[in-house]
Amino acid sequence: MSRQLLPIASRAETTRLAAAMLRAHRGPLLISAVAFVVVGLAGLVAPWILGDIVDTVTTGGDSSRILHGALLIAAASVVAGVGTAVSVTYLAKSGEPALADLREQALDRALHLDSIRLEEAGAGDLLSRMGDDVRSVAQSLTQIVPLLIQSLVAVVFTAGGLFALDWRLGLAGLGAAPFYVLGLRWYLPRSAPFYKRERIAQGERAEALVNGVQGASTLRALSREQAQIDRITDHSHHAMTIALDVFSLLTRFGARTNRSELIGLSFVLGTGFLLVREDLTTVGAVTAAALYFHRLFNPIGALLTIFDDIQSAGASLARLAGVALLQPPPTPEGPSPVRSGTFELVGIRHEYVEGHPVLADVTLRVADGERVALVGATGAGKSTLGAIAAGLLTPTSGTVRVGGFTLDTLDPSHVRSGIALITQDVHVFSGTVRENVDLARPGADDEQIRSALGTVRALSWVDALPDGLDSVVGDHGHPLTPAQAQQLALARVLLHDPRVAVFDEATAEAGSSGARELEDAAIAVTHGRTSVVVAHRLTQARSADRVVVMHEGRIVEEGTHDELVAAGGRYADLWAAWSS
Amino acid sequence: MPVVIGVIIDRAVATGDLGELAIWGGVLVGVFVVLSYSYRFGSRLGVGALELETHLLRVEVSEHVLGPDGARTGLLPGETLSLATSDAETIGQFLWHVGYSLAGLLGVAVSAIVLLRIDVTIGVVVLLGVPLVLLLIQVVTPLIARHTSDQQAGIAKATGIATDLVKGLRPLKGVGAEDVATSRYRTHSTSARDASIRTAQSVGYLFGLTAALSGLFLALVACLAGTRALDGTISIGELIAIVGLTQFLAEPITGLGETSARVASSFASARRVVDFLRTPPLATFGETVLDEPWPELEIKQMTAGPLRDLDLAPRRGELIGIVVDDTAGSDTLVRLLRGELPPGDRQGSLTLGGYEVDDLTIDSLRSRVVVSQHHVDLFEGTLRSVIDPDGALDGDAIDEILAASAASDVVDLHPDGLQQPITAGGATFSGGQRQRIALARALATRAPILVLAEPTSAVDAMTEQRIADGIRALRHAGDSDLVTIVVTSSPAILAGADRIHLVQDGRVVVSGTHHDLAQHDAYRQAVLR
Repeated sequence: MSRQLLPIASRAETTRLAAAMLRAHRGPLLISAVAFVVVGLAGLVAPWILGDIVDTVTTGGDSSRILHGALLIAAASVVAGVGTAVSVTYLAKSGEPALADLREQALDRALHLDSIRLEEAGAGDLLSRMGDDVRSVAQSLTQIVPLLIQSLVAVVFTAGGLFALDWRLGLAGLGAAPFYVLGLRWYLPRSAPFYKRERIAQGERAEALVNGVQGASTLRALSREQAQIDRITDHSHHAMTIALDVFSLLTRFGARTNRSELIGLSFVLGTGFLLVREDLTTVGAVTAAALYFHRLFNPIGALLTIFDDIQSAGASLARLAGVALLQPPPTPEGPSPVRSGTFELVGIRHEYVEGHPVLADVTLRVADGERVALVGATGAGKSTLGAIAAGLLTPTSGTVRVGGFTLDTLDPSHVRSGIALITQDVHVFSGTVRENVDLARPGADDEQIRSALGTVRALSWVDALPDGLDSVVGDHGHPLTPAQAQQLALARVLLHDPRVAVFDEATAEAGSSGARELEDAAIAVTHGRTSVVVAHRLTQARSADRVVVMHEGRIVEEGTHDELVAAGGRYADLWAAWSS
Repeated sequence: MPVVIGVIIDRAVATGDLGELAIWGGVLVGVFVVLSYSYRFGSRLGVGALELETHLLRVEVSEHVLGPDGARTGLLPGETLSLATSDAETIGQFLWHVGYSLAGLLGVAVSAIVLLRIDVTIGVVVLLGVPLVLLLIQVVTPLIARHTSDQQAGIAKATGIATDLVKGLRPLKGVGAEDVATSRYRTHSTSARDASIRTAQSVGYLFGLTAALSGLFLALVACLAGTRALDGTISIGELIAIVGLTQFLAEPITGLGETSARVASSFASARRVVDFLRTPPLATFGETVLDEPWPELEIKQMTAGPLRDLDLAPRRGELIGIVVDDTAGSDTLVRLLRGELPPGDRQGSLTLGGYEVDDLTIDSLRSRVVVSQHHVDLFEGTLRSVIDPDGALDGDAIDEILAASAASDVVDLHPDGLQQPITAGGATFSGGQRQRIALARALATRAPILVLAEPTSAVDAMTEQRIADGIRALRHAGDSDLVTIVVTSSPAILAGADRIHLVQDGRVVVSGTHHDLAQHDAYRQAVLR
C-alpha cells in the first residue's frame, strides 16, 4: 500500500534551515570556531619542536634549547586542552539550542497539520521523526560533529604544517591523496545501498516490536504471541546480518585506507631520504614531517568512517526539517467573528475514491442551540459527515457555515474555537488530571476545572484519586477506564466552550455499561450550544431535538423521535431493533 | 610503527644508505600488512560477537514482554522499543570497549617494554606516567556518566511526551489545543537541551584534560629523551622512536580514559534491561496439562476488585450473557478469565475441568478459553490473515464466520475483499468495522469457551441484531458443546442468551433469561434503553 508520507526536505532546504537555526545562536558558535582553530594550531607545535630537537641533537646544540622546546610543547598542550574544552562546550551551546528549536518547530507544525493528512501518512512516520530522528541528530551533535570538526581542523593544519616545513615533503605527503580518493570511490557506491537496507530493516524491526508490545494482550488471548516473537526475531536477525555485512565492507575499506597511509608515509620518508642526501633539508625536518604524517592517520581515518554517520544524521535532519518547514499556522487576526451557533452543511458531496461517493448532496441546517442526532446503519456516511462538519475533512464539494461564515474563509484557529469534535478515540494524556483537562484552556483555575468535571459527573472519582486533580493518570499513572477518559475529554470541551460541538460516537468506547453515564455527561455538555451527535445508541437520538436518518450517503428521514417512530420508516425499524 | 619510522630516519635518512632504506622500508610494509589484517579480522570477530549479543538481548526483551505469561512492565511501547534497541546496543558496545581497552593496554605495555630496552629511565617514566594520566582523567569520567544518563533520560522524556501528544492528536485537535501541546513539549525539550549541554561540557573537559595531559607527558619525555640523545646515551633513531611512541600513546590514553565512562553507560543500560526483565509476569501458571478437550469452567465465591462472592458456571452448549453495572467490574471479570489477575488480588476459586487454573499450564487455559477484549488490536496483514492466521479454515467456514460477525460488510466494501490489506492498528477502518473484524477473528478460533467483552458497542442496532443471530447460529446450533460468555448490555444479544446474570455491586443479583428478567426493575434499568 503506497502511503503519502510526510515531506522530506531537500538538501538545500535542510542546509538553509540548519543555517538559519544556527544563526540564532551564532555567538557561542563563533567562540567554538575560534577555539577549534587555536587547537589546530597548538597541535602543530609538538612535531615541529620534536623535529627541532632532532636537529639540535644531530648538530650538537645546547641542552637549554631542548628544555625550551619541551616547555613550548607543554604550553601548547595546555592551550590545546583549554581550547578543546571550550570548543566542544560552545559547539553544544549553539548546536543543542538549535536542535531544540528545530524539534519544537517540527512538533508544532505536525500538530497543526490537517489530521486526515497526518493519518494518511501514518502517525508512525511522525513518531519516528520525533523519536529516532531527534535522537540520531542529538547523538551526532554530541559525538560526531565535534569529531568531524576536530578531524577536519587537524587534517588542514597538519597538511599546512607539512608544507610549511618543506614544500617538497608536503607534496610527497599529498601524493597519498589520490589513493584515499580511490578508496572512497570504491567504498561509497557499495555502502550506500547497504545503509539504506539497514535503515529499512531497523524500521521493520521497530514496527514489529511496537505492534507486538501494543497488542500483547490480544496476541496472548489468541495464542499468537510466539508468531510475533518469531517475527521480531527474524527482523532483528535480518538487521544484524546487514549490520555485519556493512561492517565487513567497512573493514575492507579500512584496509584500503591503511594502504594509502603506507603509500603516503613511504613517499614522505623516501623524499626525505633523497632531500637529506642532497642536503636540501635536515633530518629534523624529515622527522617532523614523518610525525606530522603519522598524526594524520587518525583524523583522516575518522573523516572517512564518520562519512556514513554524517550521511545518516543528515537524512534524519532532512526528515525533521521536512516537517519543520511545513506551512506555519497563520496567526489569528483579532478575535473570532463567529457570534452565533447556527450551523449549515449545504450540498455536501464526498468521495474517498473517485466515482464512489460516500456522501451525495447532503444538506443539513442546525439552528443555534439545537441538538441534532445523526443515525443510520454502518456505512451510511455518518462519520464522514461528522468529520466534515468539524472541519477535519474538506468535502469534495459543498460548503460548511458556522454563524454564517464559510469554514474556508475563517481563520483555522477560529474554526477550532467555534467547533469542537469529540470522537470515540479516547486518549488519556500522561500527566495529571488537571493537565488533561486544562489543555483546552491553559491557566484555568481549580474552580473552573472542578465545575467542568462536576458537569460531566467525573468529580466523584477524581476526588477519590490519591491526589485529586493533581493525580497522575495515563500510561504511567493511575489507569482510567475508557469511560473516565471520555469524561475528561468532555470536560475539556466545556472549558473550550465552543459554539458548536460535534460528537462522533463519543460514547461507544465506554462499552454499554458505561455508556449511559457518559450519555448523561454528553447531554450536559451540549447544554446551551449547537450540537450534532453521530449516534448508534438510539437513546441519544430519542433525547435530541431532531433526528436525521442517513442511508447510503443521503438523508432519508428527518424529524423528532416520536414523529419518526410514528411514521414507521427506516428509523422506526432501527428503534424496534434497538429497544427489543 | 613509530619505532620503524625512527629506525628508517636513523639508519637510512640520516646516513643516506639506500640498502638500509630498502630493508627497513620492507619492514614498514610488513608492519602495515600485519596491523591492517589483524584489525580487519579481529574487529570483525569483535563486532560479530557484539551484534549477536545485541540481537539476543533484543529477542529476550521481546520474549519477556510478549511471552505467554506476559509482564507487568508499566512501560510505554516506545520505552520498550528503546530498551530493545538503544539500550541493547549500548550493552553490546561493552564487548567492544573491553576488546578496545585490552588492545590499548597491550599497546601501552609493548611501548613500555620497547622504551625500557632503549632507556630504563624513560621506560619507567612512561610506565608510571600513563597510569597517572589515566587516574587524573578519571576525575571527570563519573561526571560524564552522570550527565549522559541525565541526557538520555531527558531526551526519552521529551520523546515520550511527543509520542503521547501525537497519539492523542484527534482529541487534541478536537478542542484546538495544539498550541498548548506544543508549549508542553517545549518545556521538556528545553530541559533535554540543557542536559545535553551539560553532557557536552563534561565531554569537553575530558577531551581537554586528555589533550593537555598527554601533551604535557610528551613534553616531559621529549625533554628527557632530547637531553639523553645530546649526551649520546641514545641514538637519533631511538630519540625519534621514543617521541613517536609517546605521541602514539596519546591514542590508547584517550581510549582508556573514555572507557570507564562508556562502561558506566553500558552498565546503566544493563541495569535498565535487568530491571525490565525482572518485572513480574501478568499471570501465574502451573505444570498440570489438561487433557479434557471440553472442560467446564467454574468460578466460585470469587472476590476480586469490585467483584464480591461471584459464582459463574456455564453448562455445555450455553450462551451466557453477563450484565455488569460498572466497567471496573467487567474489566476485572475479563482479566480473571484471561488468567491475568494475580492470585494475591483475588479470593475464591477459578477452575477449569476441575483443576485450579493457577495449577494448569498456560496452554491448557488458552487453548480452551479465548477472551476477546473490548479494546481491539489489529495486526498487519490481509483481512484473511488477520481473521485466520494459520489458514486453517476453508472458504465456507470463513463465509459462515464473516456472516456471523457481520464482517461480511467490511469484505464487500473493498474491491479486494478478503485480500484487502490491513495496516497495524487498522486505522483505515471505523470503530464498528474494527470491532466486527475482531469478532470474526475471535469466532475463527472456534474456542470451546469463548468470552466476548462488549463485542457490539460500536455497531448500530440492526447490525447488532444480525450479530446476535449470527453467534447463536454459528456456535449454538443443535447440540453444540461450545460455550460463549458475552459481557454486554445489548438487548439484542441478551435476548438470544440461554441464561443471563445481572451483576450489581460485584454480586450476581439475579439470573434468568431475557424474558424472565424483563420484569426485573434493576435489569430493565441496566439493559432496556
